[in-house]
Parts: sequence; C-alpha cells; structure tokens
Amino acid sequence: MIPTQSAEPDDRELVRTIREGSSDAFEQLVRRKTSKVYALCYRVIGNSEDAKDIAQLVFIKLWENLEKYDSQFAFDTWLYRMVTNVAIDFMRSRQSRDNAVNSNLRLVKTATEPEQALIVQRKEIDNVFADISTVLSPKQKTIFVMNQMEDLPSVEIAKILGCRESTVRNHLFNARKLMQRQLQKRYPEYAQLWRSQ
Amino acid sequence: MMACSDFRAQFQAGTDDAALLRHLRTCDPCLDYAAHSDPDVMFRAIGGDEIVPPGGIDAFVADVMHTVRLRGAEGVIAPPASTWHRRLAIAATLAIGISGASLVYQVEHRARVAPAQSVAAVRHPVERQITLTTKPAVQAYSSPNATIVEVPSETPNDNTQIVMIVDENLPADL
Repeated sequence: MIPTQSAEPDDRELVRTIREGSSDAFEQLVRRKTSKVYALCYRVIGNSEDAKDIAQLVFIKLWENLEKYDSQFAFDTWLYRMVTNVAIDFMRSRQSRDNAVNSNLRLVKTATEPEQALIVQRKEIDNVFADISTVLSPKQKTIFVMNQMEDLPSVEIAKILGCRESTVRNHLFNARKLMQRQLQKRYPEYAQLWRSQ
Repeated sequence: MMACSDFRAQFQAGTDDAALLRHLRTCDPCLDYAAHSDPDVMFRAIGGDEIVPPGGIDAFVADVMHTVRLRGAEGVIAPPASTWHRRLAIAATLAIGISGASLVYQVEHRARVAPAQSVAAVRHPVERQITLTTKPAVQAYSSPNATIVEVPSETPNDNTQIVMIVDENLPADL
C-alpha cells in the first residue's frame, strides 16, 4: 500500500497561510480549535452561552493578532494564553454580581444531609464544581481547570500564563484548600472523603 | 478501553496517566472507587473530553467567520478615512510645531541681537569720551617703589606738567 501524505497542514503552516491572506485557512484553524477553546472557556466560566461568546471573541482576537504570533513557540500555548486572558477578564467583570447570587445558594446547600451514603458520580461532580469553584479567583480557577481538567502540567501552564511554575503550584494548592473549605460548608458528604483519608 | 479491574489495580493517588484518567472520566463506579481512595482526583473526572458549543461547531465557525469578514470589510473601508484624518492631524501638528518653534526662535534671536546693537551704539560715544576726558591731575604721590619721571614741557608758556609714574602698586583708577 502506498503511504499517503497527510493533507492536513499543522498549526504553524496554517498560520503562515493565513498571514498570506487566506481566510479559508483561518476557517480551518477555527474548526480545528473550537472544541478545545470552547471546553476551556466553558469549564472556566461555567455557563455555555457566555463560554460560546468568549470563545468567539478569542477567535476574533486571534484573527486580529495573528501577526504577533512567534512561530518558534507552540501555537496552542499562544492560543491558550489568549483564552485565559479573555476568560479571566470576563470573570473579573462578572465576579461581583455572582458573589451576591452564590451567598444565597450557600444557604440552600448547607441543608444537605451529611450522613447519606456517597456515590461519586461525574454529573454530580460537575454541579459541585460549578458551585464551589465560585470562591476561587479567576486566575486560580483557570489554573485549576487547565491542570485538573485539561491535564496540562504546571510547567506548561506557567508558559501560558507567563509566570513561574512555583506560582502555578501555589495557586493549585490554594485552590484545593479553598474548595475543600467550601465542600465542608456546602457539600459535607464530599468533604468527608478527605477526612476519612 | 481499559477494564475496571485493570484500572483499580493500577490506580494510584495523584496519577497523571492518560489511560487511567480516560477510564476515570467514563466510568462512574471506578470514579467512585478512585475518589474514595484519593479525593483530589474527583474533579479530574470532569475534564478530558472536548465539548461542542451550543448550536454545533459548524454554526460556531460560521459565526466567527461572519464577524471576521465583517470586521475585514470595515477595515478595508475604514482605514483610508481614518488614515486621511490621521495624516491631516499629523500634518497640522507638525505645522503648528514648526511655526511655534520658528516664532520662539525669532523672538529669542531678536532678544539676543538687540542688546548687541545697543552695546555697539553705546560703545562708540564711550570711546570718544575716553579720548576726550582727562584723568584728574595728581597733586602728590609717594611710594618707595615708584619711579616718577617728570616730562618737560616743550612750549614755554604752558602750565601743564606731565609726570609719568611707574609703580606696580599704583591704583588703577588714577
């Protein structure tokens, strides 16, 4: 069998073609990265409509700033940096409004029975995370999502955010601590998991 | 796909193993097992898969491309107008700057030239004054280091006495 050459250009080649003026290449790049970008936005922002808007904004910014991309660095690192910047800005502007809503939610959730036998399920964890991660700062949440859900190592996250790896680890440590405290308050049945260790 | 028994045999706290995480994210019983032995792994179950935006990828991409084309079209029309305005503003700023600078230069130049002319005008009569004015006559001068020479008058009826005083300590205003 004759080996066929891959017709798919890599990210750098696509960027080069886009810089030459091809909007088709840009469309190809958007299609390729949409799921990744949207997933990160959704996990950080926690709302599908806002996440969609932010993801679209990221791609528009990408189009406008593509000249600034230095092809000696990984394209995904540069793209993720753009995603995190836009998402963090959005969360910061939204944070004060959310705090008021969350204080009400906390009162409702405290009534959960801690004695119930706990079966950890993915869908439930999704909701738990959406509730308790509101105590995290936008940066802490972004780092936590990138590390725990996008499986990015701390060294890569440091590159994306342009900070030290130790800073990323500190944020991760603090995020875990804050979330455990929140679990204790709002989901004591989950907090028991840590106590039984 | 990894078997649950393999997952439970291989799972360790703080794992980053891609195959284990993939299984954790798709199997609730194994997630429950893992969360009870390492609660920190709990939230890792959320991640992993790529999520499709509401409306689907095609609609999403179409929206992005529509916005990009729209902005591109605005960019084609807008830049000449904005460039023209910008150029005009730059030219106006330069013109104001240059005329302002030349005005300042002229004022300063005049200020510098004017005192020189007045000095010149003053200097001329002063020179004349020096040639015409005689120093006050010395009535008496006494110094151990002075050499005093009396110049004899050439005309017989002239009462003027000319005396040359050579002395290092002679006051300058004499």
